[in-house]
Amino acid sequence: MRTFILRRLAYAIPTLLGISIITFVIVHLAPGDPIRLYTFGSRATNEDIEALRHVYGLDQPLPIQYVNWMWKVLHLDFGQSFIYHQDAAALFIQYIPNSLQLTVVALALQLLIGVPLGVIAALKRGTWADGAIRVFGVMGHAVPAFWLGLVLILFFAVQLRWLPSQGLLTVGKDVWDIPDRVRHMLLPAFVLSLTGIANYSRLLRTETLEVLSQDFVRTAHAKGLRERTVMFVHALRNALIPVVTALGGILAGLIGGALVIETVFSWPGIGRFTFQEAIAKDYPVIQAAVLIASVLLVISYIIRDVAYALVDPRIAVK
Amino acid sequence: MSHPRTGRALIAVFAASMLVATACSGGTPSASSAPSAATATAAATPQQGGRIVEGTISDIATMQPVLVNDTASGRMTGLMYDGLVQQDAKSGEVKPKLASYTTSSDGLTYTFTINDKANWSDGKPIIAQDWLTGLTAVGKSAKTVRKSTFQDVVGFNEFCAPAGSQCKATATTITGVTIDSANPKKFSVKMTKVSCPAILDLSGYTLPTQVFGKYVTATSKAEDFDNAPENLNPTVVSGPFTFKEWRKGDQVILGKNASYWQGSPNVDEYVYKVVANSTAITNGLKTGELTFGSIIAKDLADMQTVDSVRITKYQSLGYTFIGWNTASPTAVGLADKRVRQALAYGIDMDAVIKAVVFGEATKQVAHHVPVQWAYPSVALEPYKYDKAKAQQLLKDAGWVAGADGILAKDGKKFNLTISTNSGNNERETLAQVAADQYKQLGINAVSKPEAFQGLVTKLTTGDQTLEATIIGWSLGGDPDPYQIWHSSQIPDPAKSVTGFGFTYFKDPALDKAIEQGRNPTDGNCSTAARKANYETFNKILNENQPYNFGYSNNVLAVSAKTLQNFDPGSFSTIYNVHQWWIKK
Repeated sequence: MRTFILRRLAYAIPTLLGISIITFVIVHLAPGDPIRLYTFGSRATNEDIEALRHVYGLDQPLPIQYVNWMWKVLHLDFGQSFIYHQDAAALFIQYIPNSLQLTVVALALQLLIGVPLGVIAALKRGTWADGAIRVFGVMGHAVPAFWLGLVLILFFAVQLRWLPSQGLLTVGKDVWDIPDRVRHMLLPAFVLSLTGIANYSRLLRTETLEVLSQDFVRTAHAKGLRERTVMFVHALRNALIPVVTALGGILAGLIGGALVIETVFSWPGIGRFTFQEAIAKDYPVIQAAVLIASVLLVISYIIRDVAYALVDPRIAVK
Repeated sequence: MSHPRTGRALIAVFAASMLVATACSGGTPSASSAPSAATATAAATPQQGGRIVEGTISDIATMQPVLVNDTASGRMTGLMYDGLVQQDAKSGEVKPKLASYTTSSDGLTYTFTINDKANWSDGKPIIAQDWLTGLTAVGKSAKTVRKSTFQDVVGFNEFCAPAGSQCKATATTITGVTIDSANPKKFSVKMTKVSCPAILDLSGYTLPTQVFGKYVTATSKAEDFDNAPENLNPTVVSGPFTFKEWRKGDQVILGKNASYWQGSPNVDEYVYKVVANSTAITNGLKTGELTFGSIIAKDLADMQTVDSVRITKYQSLGYTFIGWNTASPTAVGLADKRVRQALAYGIDMDAVIKAVVFGEATKQVAHHVPVQWAYPSVALEPYKYDKAKAQQLLKDAGWVAGADGILAKDGKKFNLTISTNSGNNERETLAQVAADQYKQLGINAVSKPEAFQGLVTKLTTGDQTLEATIIGWSLGGDPDPYQIWHSSQIPDPAKSVTGFGFTYFKDPALDKAIEQGRNPTDGNCSTAARKANYETFNKILNENQPYNFGYSNNVLAVSAKTLQNFDPGSFSTIYNVHQWWIKK
């Protein structure tokens, strides 16, 4: 297992290097000059702009800029944000806990709601319950998250006043006020998890039905095992393998894909922050964000592969 | 200037800056303030305590005034640091704040005396050296964009670094600033030339020397100041609020400065709450999560049905316009004044205002907005919608319709691309409506949204592919229009000159009026004298129409009815924040 993880980490190096080059080139070649954008409307003279460009090393040829940047990154210095005048990586990292709590809760909701729904649908195949779950599954995919988010805000926050309309904490509350955090998280986490719930319920339904029709399940039944044992020990464990496969991709989606939810619910997470920085062409922050997110993604894939082995002993980790 | 729906406001509006590209909220001349909160509640005794939560769509970037370059950061530093002078919130007139001042008869020397009562939050008196610390920081910082603001202070250019065409970095002190040896609160600033906007610039950045002095010594480097931890965590302030906490992307929490020299604020806390967009501000105001914030015109009708809020409308210091590239090699018609006039007559701007901003704006026909004292008293051509006149002007200019109905001259068709920044719904709609209306004149007009980032670079560096561009200005405190309209600001890629003169329109009389309003040869900076120059200036623009000056939006400030003494004006919202109170 250790060799496996180490080897995977070694593979990650060229991947990350490639990502860093592609990001660097795309960010720098996209139209618009960050310093001109930053100073637009201010009284900065052309000379002020050139001086700023020099401070940030933007007056150097692109390959030199890349080498300088990479060298610094290897020393864990991602440079300073043009806008915040602070360490780019530190800025980005500050937003990770906010995104992580939303992501983890959404992931938990996906598994806790999606998996049982799928299993129930399979067991109750052809009944009204199966039908309802399948309709829910289609709706979960079809309903745009931003629309659902806005509707839920209007209903639960603006009309009923049951839940807050935005943010991660009520103004004036302590950062460790967990009940207040939970109240703020309910709507965004639900909306964020909806597609996943739909995915899992459909996936699990199909997989469970397939597994249930296999010989070993029949054998288990024939052995006289209890229905519950057959279901949870034999069938579900096998049905979960594709779920783990999907998990890696979903983690990636959750890391980068909460932008819409974060925007609708004014959630200060990495998606919205990175988007804003991209618009402002804050090169150091965008580069730091992509690189750090890529590292997290690589780690999440390794975790997924390890999880495979745990769920299915036939999959050997080599 | 404009912020995409979900994004932060990209550009800064800072009180001291002269002009600023504005976000999609502009402002306008309907001075239809609702009955002011101040009047309504003047008789009541302020209650103590409570919290003000202001909604904003942009997080702050810094709390160091010298480095501020965005509206949000400017709001926070404005609550924590007082300037020497301030502008009247409604009229824009310059008034003393931290200091009273006199101007010498030659107009070259300003003498400031800081208020005896004015102390820092740590109890130390605010003295002249503190102002000099701020100016020294501007000179030393590598990341400020304000060096040119002080270029006319004697000795500043010799002092500031790094050496370049403005800064020489040869002196160790700024010789034009003299602190009275007998009175540490009194100092004078000598200018190299008479500059009428200078008094607002000299309001400056009074920083606590006991905190920042160590970062601006003779041996300090630029980064010592630029990276000072107190830039993100101010420990000593001169304004009504002290810094408590900055939760990035979420909120900035300020506490009251009980020893504030103008009197302790009534409320305990001022929270700057960051939300994603204007919809979130509207929702937050409805639910009471926010105490005040500005909404967009689309949400006004909805907000008017909410009992718990008060809506105050006032004119903003800005306008949204269509800038014509009068030197365009492709839309050659724009070089002709008659064509540009036709483009003013040929668009029904009043109808556009109704459609685009629900009537919450006023048509503009020149640069200054009516709330500014520089707005001309003389009548300007209103360019009322008149399609026939527009057609006649185009005909006079030699543009006649071909078989396909498209105007042409010398075998060249009148094509016109109107660009604007994508993501700004208001401007995108304006571009489409304008293109539709110009099509009816026979012009082959199309609208083209493009990313703001690229647009800014094209505009300021002289990219001739732009024919017409819709953006907006937010005008600063002083009406000096030099950076937008003086011919020296016209971009010239050949000479690496950049600037905001992207219409390429120039007129010696216009330059002269701008120069005399800014640096009068007779040294007369009186409002009357400057106003006369700006009348000439606005008349030239009104006649020549290098922009279709578009419209100026209303600011729609919404506040909880419990918030008392909230009485914003075009020039300031928070000028009396220490007197605000929450009715329980």
